[in-house]
Amino acid sequence: MTSIITATNVCKKFGNQEVSKHISLELNPGEIYGLLGPNGAGKTTLIRMLATITQPDSGEILFNGAPLIPEHSQRMGYMPEERGLYKKMSVADQLLFFAQLRGMSQSEAKTKVKYWLDRLGMLDWAKKKIEEISKGMAQKVQFVSCIMHKPELLILDEPFSGFDPVNADLIKELILELQSEGCSILFSTHRMDNVEDLCNRIGIIHKGEKVMDGSISEIKRSHFTQKYDIGFHEAIASDNVPDTAIKSWKTNDGRTMYRFQTSDSFTPNNLLEWSTKQNNPMVYFSEYIPNIHDIFVDTVEKKSNHNAINHE
Amino acid sequence: MSNLSNIWVIFKREYTTRITNKTFIIMTFLAPFLIAGFYALAIYIAVSDEQETDIQTVLVSDQSKQLQLSDFSNYKLLPAPDYEYPQQRVDSAKAFVNRGICYAWLQINDQDLTSLDSTTLYSVEAPSLTQMESINQWIKNQTKEKQLLRFGIRPSTLDSLDVSGSVRLMEISESGVASNSSSGLKSGIGFILAFLIYMFIFMYGAAVMRGAFEEKNNRIVEVIISSVKPFQLMMGKILGIAAVGLTQVAAWVILILALGVIGGSVFGSQKMTQFKQQTSAISMDSAFASAGIPASEQPAVNSNPVAKMDSLAELFSGTESIPAGEILLIFVLYFIGGYLLYASMFAAIGAAVNQETETSQFMLPITLPLVLSFIIAQSVAIKAPNGSTAELFSMIPFTSPIIMVVRAPFGVPISQLILSFSLLVLTFVLMVWLTSKIYRIGILSYGKKPTWADLWKWIRQ
Repeated sequence: MTSIITATNVCKKFGNQEVSKHISLELNPGEIYGLLGPNGAGKTTLIRMLATITQPDSGEILFNGAPLIPEHSQRMGYMPEERGLYKKMSVADQLLFFAQLRGMSQSEAKTKVKYWLDRLGMLDWAKKKIEEISKGMAQKVQFVSCIMHKPELLILDEPFSGFDPVNADLIKELILELQSEGCSILFSTHRMDNVEDLCNRIGIIHKGEKVMDGSISEIKRSHFTQKYDIGFHEAIASDNVPDTAIKSWKTNDGRTMYRFQTSDSFTPNNLLEWSTKQNNPMVYFSEYIPNIHDIFVDTVEKKSNHNAINHE
Repeated sequence: MSNLSNIWVIFKREYTTRITNKTFIIMTFLAPFLIAGFYALAIYIAVSDEQETDIQTVLVSDQSKQLQLSDFSNYKLLPAPDYEYPQQRVDSAKAFVNRGICYAWLQINDQDLTSLDSTTLYSVEAPSLTQMESINQWIKNQTKEKQLLRFGIRPSTLDSLDVSGSVRLMEISESGVASNSSSGLKSGIGFILAFLIYMFIFMYGAAVMRGAFEEKNNRIVEVIISSVKPFQLMMGKILGIAAVGLTQVAAWVILILALGVIGGSVFGSQKMTQFKQQTSAISMDSAFASAGIPASEQPAVNSNPVAKMDSLAELFSGTESIPAGEILLIFVLYFIGGYLLYASMFAAIGAAVNQETETSQFMLPITLPLVLSFIIAQSVAIKAPNGSTAELFSMIPFTSPIIMVVRAPFGVPISQLILSFSLLVLTFVLMVWLTSKIYRIGILSYGKKPTWADLWKWIRQ
């Protein structure tokens, strides 16, 4: 199966600043891909190249196997980070305008607009101008404006920024619905909370470079570090705790937790053995699986240190 | 999706959102009243200005002993105390004026008054040009009357020698038919049409610029650009706004005609004849709006170097020689051509900048030729509509939209029209090609303030 997007060694410079350094990535049909990275990492630059707004200085981007050309963007939906609609235009007129630009006939567009306004619960707001409705509503209108034509590929730059939790959930729901209809989605974010329950695969970008990518489970597995968490009802005297413990903390409900680094000389079984000898009921035992947030912070920090060392 | 239907969608959006805008509707209906009111006010101020000035006392020390002191304008003339020596007169003149005993001291030293070179007016504040001129005129008229009387001619006799009325102009068309004509009316029509084009280019050009800027600034363009090419977006916008402007002008024409019909029936032909006697010295562009001003407010001495003009009644008797159809055609063609040429430049500027304040640095190539052509329209084109300056500037595409329209009522040779309009269209095509390149790149570029060098780079990309 051909990937919907294949980017190879994409480079882009603004003046002397390299904002994309040999980035390669692949987006498979029907997949949700999350582009992670701190502010200023080069996510928007990459996204703008994928959306055919700017062209890379070097490298190649393929859309369904063919070199990406501006005409392909007709089959995409794109929502830039800085949201904008025509302030003086009504909600319905705005959606009609975008639908017609995407090639729908007037009557077709009207039906679509009505469907979506109904779906967003905004039928009563159809005649209101954008400057008269709330920011959250305007954002929903904008989101709908880029999915009305059922794009093959949806590119979203920071889609959740500025949304309240209720509307963020609505957007998530719509993204998943689009995926089930066969749409491929690529979105950027610098917040990790939406990533794990939405993305099939993620890529982490830092200072213009892709430092990691893969499926969520792959990435997590690669970060399994033989760490185990164990919890007791009460704290254990520090003399009795082996020095393989790397961290301890108290939970909200009063348990005391320890994280151990296991190894060939101190296996998880050794850890369990030690716990049975304590005069204190064990209430929790689990392998520590890092979440994407931790992996992200960890990766970015490592990368920064690495760079710092290189520079010295 | 075809190119044309894309431009059409953009065009339709620009047109409908602007035409349904409340400000647009209000402006369309109010502007004719506002403009009429503005002119009425301007004329009222101009006319009432001299009346409102306080009566000023002027002491006259007349060594020629020829002048009869009569009051004129806002001056009350009184004889000055006499002194034996010239220096005494100067000293007391200074003292009188300085202490505010009189407004001014007029010292006439020439015994036979053959020249005004040795005549001085002492005053604390400088009188206006008009006031100075009226003082000169007063002395000259007085001496002239004296001289005439010496030859046994009464001033009233001389007045009766003046031929009344003015020369009637008959234009002979190519087919040999003679018809009434009026240069004043032609200048008036030409000037009003030129003003419309000037105003239209600025108003709607700026609207194009703001529109492009808005789309860039809130990133709408990034979304639109996936469906339309930058060129289509630019053309759709320019044409849509042009249609808005044409609609507005059409609405104004209908409103003004309606106002004219109502106004005409209110004033009636009797007032018209009365008016005819009043307007002989009112400047050309104020003639139309001055209908409401009573005769008593006419300035007593009108020495402004204004273009003397036929009265309104005579004016309209000359309409039959005005080639209305031809003028309308020229107006519409140059109206559209001129707007398109400048609007494409406005669009490129709006697309290039990141902040509205950055536009000013790029505005010079737009404002300079426009203001220049308006100045030319006011002077050269009205005085010598078929002179070489007018001909030259009606060929240059950046000034032709305004200058050619001023010339239109006087009849422009068809060969000149064809050349001028071809040049305009050619330049417009070239300009759209250039500006669309700036637009294409500018509209998607953010960050630092663009320079002329950047624009040049974008053109060559």
